[in-house]
Amino acid sequence: MAMTPPPFDPELAAALAVIAEHVPSTITLEWARQMRAQGVGVKLTAEQLGRDGFFAVEERAVPGPPGDPDVSLLICRPVDVPGLRPVIYHVHGGGMIIGDNRTGITAALDWAQELEAVVVSVEYRLAPEYPHPAPIEDVYAGYVWTAEHAEEFGGDPERIVISGGSAGGGLTAALALLARDRKARQPLGQMLLFPMLDDQNDTPSAFQMAGIGVWDQASNEVGWTALLGEDRGTDKVSEYAAPARAEDLSGLPPALIDVGSAETFRDEAVAYASRIWQAGGVAELHVWPGGYHGFEGFAPQAAVSQAASGARLPWLRRLLGE
Amino acid sequence: MEELAGRLTALDPDAGVAVRVIAYFDRLAESRAGLEALVRGAAVLAGCPARLVDEERRVRVRVEPDGTRSDTRSAPDAAWPREPLRPSSSDSDAALWLERDGGAPSVVDAVILERAAGVIRQVLDRTRGRAVPAEDPALVETLLDASADEQARLVAAKRLGLETADPAARFRAVAVFGGRARILPADSGLPQGRIGVGPAVSVLELPRSGSAARTALRFTAAGTPQDPGARVVNADELGGLALLEELVVPGAEPPADVRALETAIADAPWMLVTLHAVATTASLRAAATEINVHHSTMQVRIAHAEALLGWSIHAPQGLWRLQLALTMRHLAATAGG
Repeated sequence: MAMTPPPFDPELAAALAVIAEHVPSTITLEWARQMRAQGVGVKLTAEQLGRDGFFAVEERAVPGPPGDPDVSLLICRPVDVPGLRPVIYHVHGGGMIIGDNRTGITAALDWAQELEAVVVSVEYRLAPEYPHPAPIEDVYAGYVWTAEHAEEFGGDPERIVISGGSAGGGLTAALALLARDRKARQPLGQMLLFPMLDDQNDTPSAFQMAGIGVWDQASNEVGWTALLGEDRGTDKVSEYAAPARAEDLSGLPPALIDVGSAETFRDEAVAYASRIWQAGGVAELHVWPGGYHGFEGFAPQAAVSQAASGARLPWLRRLLGE
Repeated sequence: MEELAGRLTALDPDAGVAVRVIAYFDRLAESRAGLEALVRGAAVLAGCPARLVDEERRVRVRVEPDGTRSDTRSAPDAAWPREPLRPSSSDSDAALWLERDGGAPSVVDAVILERAAGVIRQVLDRTRGRAVPAEDPALVETLLDASADEQARLVAAKRLGLETADPAARFRAVAVFGGRARILPADSGLPQGRIGVGPAVSVLELPRSGSAARTALRFTAAGTPQDPGARVVNADELGGLALLEELVVPGAEPPADVRALETAIADAPWMLVTLHAVATTASLRAAATEINVHHSTMQVRIAHAEALLGWSIHAPQGLWRLQLALTMRHLAATAGG
């Protein structure tokens, strides 16, 4: 069925016209392997991460899931700030198949600088070499360690906000479910930015955006299949792999959900927010008109990008009460 | 995913840059982007602040390369690269600037300026129209007042920016429903909305044009089923019909035909629209088409109307009586405004 997609915002469309050669609409495993080999995006040095001495940066290997390798955490703590500070537990994106604990960390560092918060960014094993449940279990293990050891690096275990974009957003939603169901310490809030929630990949927006924009339906299938193999799309899929599958969305921490109107993930993100409210929960939903997946990263200067990134810090402030 | 692809940043001067600049602004133009987005594009691609100034149209937009809007009242530096918006204005009055200090303008800057300014010109023409000075209501009133001193009227005309030096120049007054009267050059396009248009006259004859425009306005209607009629009436086309205005005295007892018409209108919801169509089209068939009813329905309606009106529309002068009654009823309703 041919469905007309919502139009891209003019500034975002123009940006895509200029940089599209770097981003194929349909991602393949082959492309992902290339990206892994050459390194994803700009490699940030410890100095750059530290932001001129604002943060002290260290990399810690912490115990992974039982019987599995250690998980690497990148910890950036504000220097010379008294008291225990909020913690942003950051889960990187990359379609489940690429990325590391520095991927996408810039935004988290921006918020942390404003809030004088600690950023903990987890590196998880990637699919397809490590299918479900390896990625989510790594994320969970890193989270549990963070909650137990927060005070060692100046973090407040009662104020951990979990956050992620794209695949990281899906893993963040799954982490919130796991923390609730395994009775671990609950995060204070969850930021699900353009989240990858639904392996079924059959919403209207998935069809509308097929072949255009960023991370289209076919790319999504590549990512989910890498994570789930043949189980993808069947009833064998766990809610901790695909949070859209969860039947019970009650008792979750307040959520901020961000998505573009012109991306594959629009409908599953809107549905997730709706179901949180139907369960009596707390959620804030933004659907940015004309935004494709990850738009504010590609064109941060555009007016709608400024609006999108500008909405997150206020949400954090309200959540943290600062 | 955004980390993978890099982001939109200032373009390095290399062989492919012109193509990408062109692609960028073409895409913005296709999507009907506004002025701020266009100036932002220039700033981001050039990597320095960009500034659009058009004093005549009261436009002032300045954007930083990180995308934030930060307008300023300070004057641009004459050394900065720029693209003028039109030959009739000076650069300081109407141009797009890149706030780039030092050195010769680069090839990238030139392409960015040219492309951005091209789209900006289109947007300005589309959204701001021909640059016209704002119309001071007091000046307009003076110019339309026959009892005002001639010298005062000429001064007012000059201050409104009307071309008074040319004796052949013509202007018209436009009476606006629910708004202030306006004075426009005779060859100018007319404003939107419900208006009465005065004849083209010389500057000192504008009071006459104003009075004719006001009369013409009384003959306009909302153009709805409850108030059918034209929203724009030209005094020139009204001709002798304008005399009817003098027949209608506000507060006076309506003539018998108008009272009969009111009775008929009150009788059926379709009456007014139907009679208006009959009065303003060339034949009953055309009237039927106008209001989308079958010809035989129209005949039934006419018969019903004639019974209520008390005269036959088909009889000699019957149609003229109807037109007169409708017009006088309408004028009585607009007598207040």
